[in-house]
Amino acid sequence: MPDLRLLLQDSPKKRALLLGNEAIARGSLEAGISVVTTYPGTPASEIGDAISEIAPEAGVYMEYSINEMVAVEVAAGAANCGVRALSAMKHVGLNVAADALMTLAYMGVKGGYVIVTADDPECYSSQNEQDNRFYALFSNLPCLEPSDSQEAKDMTVSAIEISEKLELPVLLRTTTRVSHTRGPVTYGKLTKPNLKGEFVRDAKRMVLVPANSRPMHTVLLQKVERAKEISETSPYNLVVRKGKNTKLGVVSSGAAFNYAIEALDTLSLDVSVLKLGMTNPLPEKMVGNFLKRHEKIIVLEELEPYLEMQVKAIAKDYAPNVRIYGKMGTVYFPRDGELSPRSVVTGLAEITGKKTPVNFGEIDRKYAAVQKDLPRRPPILCAGCPHRASFYVIKKATDGKAIYPNDIGCYALGFAPPLNVGDAFICMGSSVSMAQGISKVTGVDTVPVIGDSTFFHAAIPGLINAVYNNHKITLVVLDNLATAMTGHQPHPGTGVTGMGNSTETVLIENVAEGCGVKHVKVVDPFNVKEAIAVLKEALQHQGPSVLVFRSPCALMVVRERRRKGAEITVCKITDKCTDCMACIKLLGCPALILEDGKVGINEALCTACGLCASVCPYKAIECVKIG
Amino acid sequence: MKEGVVAKMKEFNAVLAGVGGQGILLAAEILGTAALKQGLNVRVSEIHGMAQRGGAVVSNVRIGEKVLAPTVLEGQADVLLGFEPLETLRSLRCASEKTVVIMSDERITPTELTAKKMKYPDLEEIAKKIRGFTKNLIVLPAAKLAKEAGNVLTGNVVLIGALAATRKLPIKDESIIDALRELVPAKHLDVNIRAFKLGYQHAKKGRTRT
Repeated sequence: MPDLRLLLQDSPKKRALLLGNEAIARGSLEAGISVVTTYPGTPASEIGDAISEIAPEAGVYMEYSINEMVAVEVAAGAANCGVRALSAMKHVGLNVAADALMTLAYMGVKGGYVIVTADDPECYSSQNEQDNRFYALFSNLPCLEPSDSQEAKDMTVSAIEISEKLELPVLLRTTTRVSHTRGPVTYGKLTKPNLKGEFVRDAKRMVLVPANSRPMHTVLLQKVERAKEISETSPYNLVVRKGKNTKLGVVSSGAAFNYAIEALDTLSLDVSVLKLGMTNPLPEKMVGNFLKRHEKIIVLEELEPYLEMQVKAIAKDYAPNVRIYGKMGTVYFPRDGELSPRSVVTGLAEITGKKTPVNFGEIDRKYAAVQKDLPRRPPILCAGCPHRASFYVIKKATDGKAIYPNDIGCYALGFAPPLNVGDAFICMGSSVSMAQGISKVTGVDTVPVIGDSTFFHAAIPGLINAVYNNHKITLVVLDNLATAMTGHQPHPGTGVTGMGNSTETVLIENVAEGCGVKHVKVVDPFNVKEAIAVLKEALQHQGPSVLVFRSPCALMVVRERRRKGAEITVCKITDKCTDCMACIKLLGCPALILEDGKVGINEALCTACGLCASVCPYKAIECVKIG
Repeated sequence: MKEGVVAKMKEFNAVLAGVGGQGILLAAEILGTAALKQGLNVRVSEIHGMAQRGGAVVSNVRIGEKVLAPTVLEGQADVLLGFEPLETLRSLRCASEKTVVIMSDERITPTELTAKKMKYPDLEEIAKKIRGFTKNLIVLPAAKLAKEAGNVLTGNVVLIGALAATRKLPIKDESIIDALRELVPAKHLDVNIRAFKLGYQHAKKGRTRT
C-alpha cells in the first residue's frame, strides 16, 4: 500500500486494497491489540513490518524478538497481565515456539492473544511445507483459517474475542496465497490500545509444576468443549452455497475454498459448499448434519488431509455410508505443493466424471515445446552482494575441500554454482551444530556459514556446545547488518529497535568471546586477500573459532547512495581483458555479462563492489565514476 | 462454446511476468488500486522473499464480481504482460488464442546462459513460440521508452500504458493515473505519467500493424 499510515485511519466502511498481512495488521488495530512481537519470516514478515512502521503513532508496543519462542514468551507475559497481544511468524517459526506454545495452552491468557502462523505451500521461501493446522489439534488451541484479506482482518478481531472468552491463545493460520494476495478490505472501527497491564499472582494456573499441570490439563480440555460450542455457531463456519445437486457436497477451507468455488463454476457443478473458517475444533454437529444430507462429499484443502481425517471420523457417527473424496486413499488433490485452479478443476472433474472445458493436454503439449530450451532463472545473490565475496574467500582459503554446513537466509543461495559453498541445512542455527557432528566423525575441516540475524536467533547454544565439547569448527558469520532476505528488518546487531529507537548494539564478536571462543576475528570480505589469510589462520586453530565477515547488504548500500544522491561508480572492463571468463566463472555475478562473446558490465546492476576486479588475473577491471 | 474458452466468465485476468527488480509488484498494485477506485472486486497475487532475488517473478491481477482465487486458470488470461521475453515464455501456460501478449523486448540474460557462454535466444524465435499460443502479440521497447520518459525504472508503467491501449482492461485511464498518484512518490509522478502515455501511444500504433 502507498503509505502504511493509512492503516491507522479511523474511517469505518472505508475500502482499501490490502495484502492479507496488511489486513491482519489493520485487524490488530481494530482489536485493540497493544503488544506485537515477531521474528521476520516469509510469508509472515509484512505483519510485523506494517506494525513497526506505525506502532509509535498507534500507541502500540512492537518488537522484533530474537526468535519466535522469545516472541511468544514476551507476548504471553503481556497477555497474562491482561493486555491484548499478537505474535506473527512463519510456519517453521512455530516449531521454534512450540515448547512455549504447548504449555502456554495449559496456562492460558487473560488478555486476548492471537498467534499468526503463515504456512508456505509450494515452499516459495521456505525449507518445508508443513501444515500448521496440526499444531492447533496438537496443542488444543482454537484455530481460525481465513481465505482472503477481508477475512484475515475480521478473523484477527474475532480471534481476540474468542481468546478472551476462553482465556486461551488462538491460532490464526494463513498461507502464502492469503498473506501475499491483495484484495479489498472494508475497515471496521478502531479500538484504542491499552498497554497498561497488571500482574495478578495465580500460582496454581501459572506455575506449571506437575501438581499444577495435571489440573490445568483438565481445564484445557474443558475449554476445548466450550470452543466446540463457539465453532458450531461461528459465523465463519457456514454453508455458503446450497446446490440443486443434493447428492454431492463440498467441504473446504482457507485458500482452497477460493479455488473450489471458481472450479465448481467452471465445471457448472451446482452443489452445496460448507466453508470452514474455524478449523479447530471443528463444528462436529454442523459437519455431521452436512454429511447426512449428501451421498458423496468432496473435501478440498491444501497440504495435509487435516479436515478429511476429521470429516471421516465424524462420518462414522453421523453418516457412515457417505463416500468421501479428497487425498486419502485415491488421491484426487495433491498433498504436496500448493493447489492451483488447474489441479482443483482436474480433481473435481475426475470425481464427478465431468469434462474440463479447458484442454489441458493441448496446453501441456504446446508448453513442452516452449519449455524445452528455456533456461532456468532461479533466485541468485544480487550484484554487489557481500556474501558472494565471502563465498569466494571461503572457497579459495579452503581450496573447496572443507565441508560447509549452511543456514537459513539469502546466503543459502551460496550452494549454487559457481560458488558451491553450502552443503546442508535443516533449520535456523543448524549450521553450527551439524558442523560439530560432521567434524567429529570426518576429521575434515568444517566451515559452517550463518547470517547475522540467524546467529542471534539460533546459533548461541550451538556455539557454547562447541566450546564446551571442544569441537573443531571454523564458524563464519556473514554479517550484512540486517535481516536481509525478509526485508531488512533490524536485529540486536543493528542498534535499532522495531519501534525505530536506537539501542545497545550487540556485537557478534563479543557474544562469541562471551561464549568462550578463544579465536575470534572480524574482517571485511571485500578485502579478499586479508579475509583469505584470516580464514587460513583460523583453520589452524584447534577447537572452535569464529570469524565475522562484516559488510552491509548491497541493497541497503544502493538505497543509501540513491538517497544521498551520491556519485554513481561502476566497474569497467579495460583493454587488458582477454575474455578468459575468470570473473564470470568464479563469481556468477548478474552484473557480469557477455556481449557478442566479450565480457561486459551491466551498469544498471553493478554496485562497484570491486570483487571482480580483485579476482581478475589480468587486472583488467577498474572502478570508475559515471556521474 | 468453443473448446478451450470458458465463456461464462465476465471478468478480466492478467498475468504479469518478469524478473525480480523490474517493478512487477508495483505494476500489479497500480492495476489493483485502479480497479478498486472504480468499485470493482479484485485480487492481486504477489511473490515475496527469496524468490524475489533476481529470480522469476509472476503476479496475477484478476478483476470481476465473482473473482476469488489469486491465480488464473491455465489458458484463461486475457492479457499476459511480459516484462522480459524469456519470462513471457515461461508464463505461456496462462495463454490461449484469445490472450493478448504485451511484451517488453528488454532482455535480462540468466546467469546460467552467461556461464555456459550461450546466447540469449533470438527475439524472433521467442515471438514465434508465443504465436504458437496466440497471434495477438505486441512487442515494445519498454526500457527505451522508459528512458525517453525520463527514468529507466518506469518500464513497468510503460507496459501498463500499452495494456490500457488495448482496451482489454475494464478500468478507465483516469483511474490508472489516480492510482499512480497514490502509489508513486510525488516527485516521480510526471515521469510516470509520461511513461504511461508513451506506452499507450506505442501500443496503439503497434496494434494497427499486427
